[in-house]
Amino acid sequence: MPPEKNAENTRELAFIEALKEAYIEEMERDERVFMVGQDIQGGIFPHTVGLVDRFGPERIVDTPISESGMYGTAFGSAQEGFRPIVDFMFGGFTYVTWAECSVTTGQYYFLHGSQIPLPIVITLAVGTGQRLANDHSMGLHGSFFPQPGIKVAMPSTPYDAKGLMKAAIRDNNPVVIPWHMGLMMDRGPVPEEDYIVPLGGADVKRVGTDVTVLANSLQLKNTLEVAGKLADEISMEVIDPRSFEPFDMDALLRSLEKTNRLVIVDEDWERGSFAATISARVMEQAFDLLDAPVTLVTFPNMPIPGGYMEPYIAPNPDKIETAVRAVCR
Amino acid sequence: MSLSKTVKRELYEKLVLADRIDRMIYGRMMQGKLIGFYHPGEGGIAPGVAIGHHLTKDDIYTPHHRAHGIPGMLGKNVPVERYLAEHTGKETGCCKGRSSFHWSFPEYGIYMASGYIGFQFAPTVGWGWAAKRKGKGQIVWCSAGDGGYNQGRAHEAMLMAMNWKLPVVFCCENNGMAIHATVASMHPTEHISSLAKGYGMPAVIVDGQDVFAVAEVAKKAIRHVRAGKGPIFVETKTLRFREHDIGTPDLAGHMPRSEEELADLRRRDPVLVATERVLADGVLTQTQIDTIGEQADVRVAEIEQFADESTIARPSEQELMEAVYAP
Ligand SMILES: Cc1ncc(C[n+]2csc(CCOP(=O)(O)OP(=O)(O)O)c2C)c(N)n1
Ligand SMILES: [Mg+2]
Repeated sequence: MPPEKNAENTRELAFIEALKEAYIEEMERDERVFMVGQDIQGGIFPHTVGLVDRFGPERIVDTPISESGMYGTAFGSAQEGFRPIVDFMFGGFTYVTWAECSVTTGQYYFLHGSQIPLPIVITLAVGTGQRLANDHSMGLHGSFFPQPGIKVAMPSTPYDAKGLMKAAIRDNNPVVIPWHMGLMMDRGPVPEEDYIVPLGGADVKRVGTDVTVLANSLQLKNTLEVAGKLADEISMEVIDPRSFEPFDMDALLRSLEKTNRLVIVDEDWERGSFAATISARVMEQAFDLLDAPVTLVTFPNMPIPGGYMEPYIAPNPDKIETAVRAVCR
Repeated sequence: MSLSKTVKRELYEKLVLADRIDRMIYGRMMQGKLIGFYHPGEGGIAPGVAIGHHLTKDDIYTPHHRAHGIPGMLGKNVPVERYLAEHTGKETGCCKGRSSFHWSFPEYGIYMASGYIGFQFAPTVGWGWAAKRKGKGQIVWCSAGDGGYNQGRAHEAMLMAMNWKLPVVFCCENNGMAIHATVASMHPTEHISSLAKGYGMPAVIVDGQDVFAVAEVAKKAIRHVRAGKGPIFVETKTLRFREHDIGTPDLAGHMPRSEEELADLRRRDPVLVATERVLADGVLTQTQIDTIGEQADVRVAEIEQFADESTIARPSEQELMEAVYAP
C-alpha cells in the first residue's frame, strides 16, 4: 500500500522535483537505470538539472539532435539488460523516430516470441498553455495509447508523479510518462519513503452522485475547479485515470453505477483518442447504466493553433461546465 | 568575384537592420510583448542576410531558425512586419495570427518554419526535384544549424539531392552550439561540411562573422547550383552571443559559459566586423553609417507600429474549422 499522503515524513514538493526524486531514488537503487536525452545534463526542464553531478555523464547521457539514435540508445541497451529512461524534451519530437519508439517498441516483445522484455521509460513534456502551436503542444498520450505492448500513464499531482515514475522504471515493459508543462511547478505532498503508484489504478479525486467526470493532468485541475464551483447545484464525481493503459475500468463502472452520467475531458483530439475509446467501451459494457449520452470535451479537429487561439481551442473550465450541465439536464 | 560597392552598402544596411530588429524582439519578449519564445540572433545574423540577398524572389529558401529567420527574410526583402504581427497574434500576421512563431511567405519562396529541428531537409528534396523538373533556373537554399545536421534526415536529403543532381545548396550555420551542447561534444570532426565528402559533394567553409565573405561564397554557390552542377555545401562559422532561447540558462554542457568567453566572442560581432570593413574600404563614411543606423531605427519603429496597431486575431472556432482543409 502506498504511504499516506499526510504521513509524518511528507514534504511539499513541486511536481517537477517529485519526478526528479523518482529518477534519483531509482538510479541509486538500481545500477542498470540510466537517462538519455538531449541537453539533459544542463537541463531544459528542471527535472534533470544537477543529475549529472550525482551520477556522471555515463548515466546522464546527452546525445546529438538525432532522435532515432537517441531512442536507439535506449532500445538496444534495454535488450542488453539496461533500464533506460529516455527524455524526449517536447513530446512531439517522438514522431521523428515514431517507427522505433512506438511501433517497433510495442511489437518487439510479442512478435519476437516474448523472450526479451523492453524495460524502457519514455518521458515527455506535453500540453497547451505556452501558445507555441502544434509541434510543441501536442499531448502524445493519445498517440502512444493505441499501440499494443506499450503502457501509458500521466500524473496529475506531485505524489503521483513520483509514484507513477517509480512504478514505470520498475516495470518490465515500455512505459510512456507524459507530464504536462502547466503542472510543472504545482506543489503537493510527497512522502520521503519509498512508494510506488501502481500502473492501472484510477484515483477518485472527488466523490459525487450526479455525474462522473473522467479527467487527467491539467484538465483534472480544471475539472476540480468546476466541481467546486457547481457544488451547490450538481454533485460531480471526479476520477483521475492516472494510467491509460492499463486502465482501471472497474473504478469507472463503479462510479457510473452511482451517477449514470459520464463526461470525459481529454487534452487531445477526439479522433482515435483515449476519451473516444473509453466512451465506446462504456457504451459496450455499461449501456444500461447510462441516463445520458457520454460527452467528450476534447480538441476540435484542427492543428493546435498558437497565438490567441490556443486557449479557446483547448478544453477549459467553461467547456467542462457546459458539458456537465448538458449531461445533467 | 568581388562585390560591388552598391551590394556592400545594401548588405551593410540589412545587417544593421537585422541587428536592431533582433534587439527589439529580445526586448519585447522580456516585456511580455511577444507570443511563444525567441531564439536571439546576436552574433549569428550575418549569414542569413548575405544568403538571402543573393537569392531571387523565386528561389526557395529555408532561413535558419536563429533570430527566427529574420536576417534571411531581410536578405530576401520580405516584409518582416508581417512576421512580427504573426508573433504577436495579429490578423495581419503572415499566418493570420494562428501560428505563434511560424513564418510563411510563399510568394518569396519561403514556405515554412517548424518546431522540428531538421524539418527542412525532407521538403528540400521535393523543392529541388520540382525546380529541376520545371527547368527554369530556380534553386533551393537549405540552411540549418550545426545541430540540424545531427538529424538523420539531413543525410537522406544530401544523398538524394546528390543522386539526382538537384539544384540545392546545403548550408550549415555552425555557431558551435545546439542549446547546451557544444559541436565539439556532438560532432566527431572539426567541420560539419566534412559530411559532404561522403556524398562527393563540393564544400566551402566561410567566416560567418563577415557578411561580405559569406555573400561572396553564397553568390558562387548559387551560380554553381543554378548552372546544373548539382548540390554544394556551404558552412558558415558563426557565433551565438546569448542564451539559446530567452529563459533558458546559457550553458555549455552543464556549466555556464563564462563572461570572459562571451566577451571574447563579442569581439567578432558581425556589425562591428562589417563597420570596420566598410570604413577601411571606403564603402561608407562614418556619417553615412550614422544615417544608416538612424534609418534602421525608423524602420524598426515602423515594424513595431504595424504589429501593435493590427487587430488581435480571434476568429471563431467555425472559421478555423473551415480553414483546416483546402476547398
Ligand atoms: C526534432 C527536434 N529535436 C529537438 C529539438 C529541440 N531543439 C530546439 S533548437 C535545438 C538546437 C538547435 O541547434 P542548431 O541547429 O545548432 O541551431 P542553433 O540554435 O544553434 O542556431 C534543439 C535541440 C527540436 N526543436 N526538434
Ligand atoms: Mg548551433
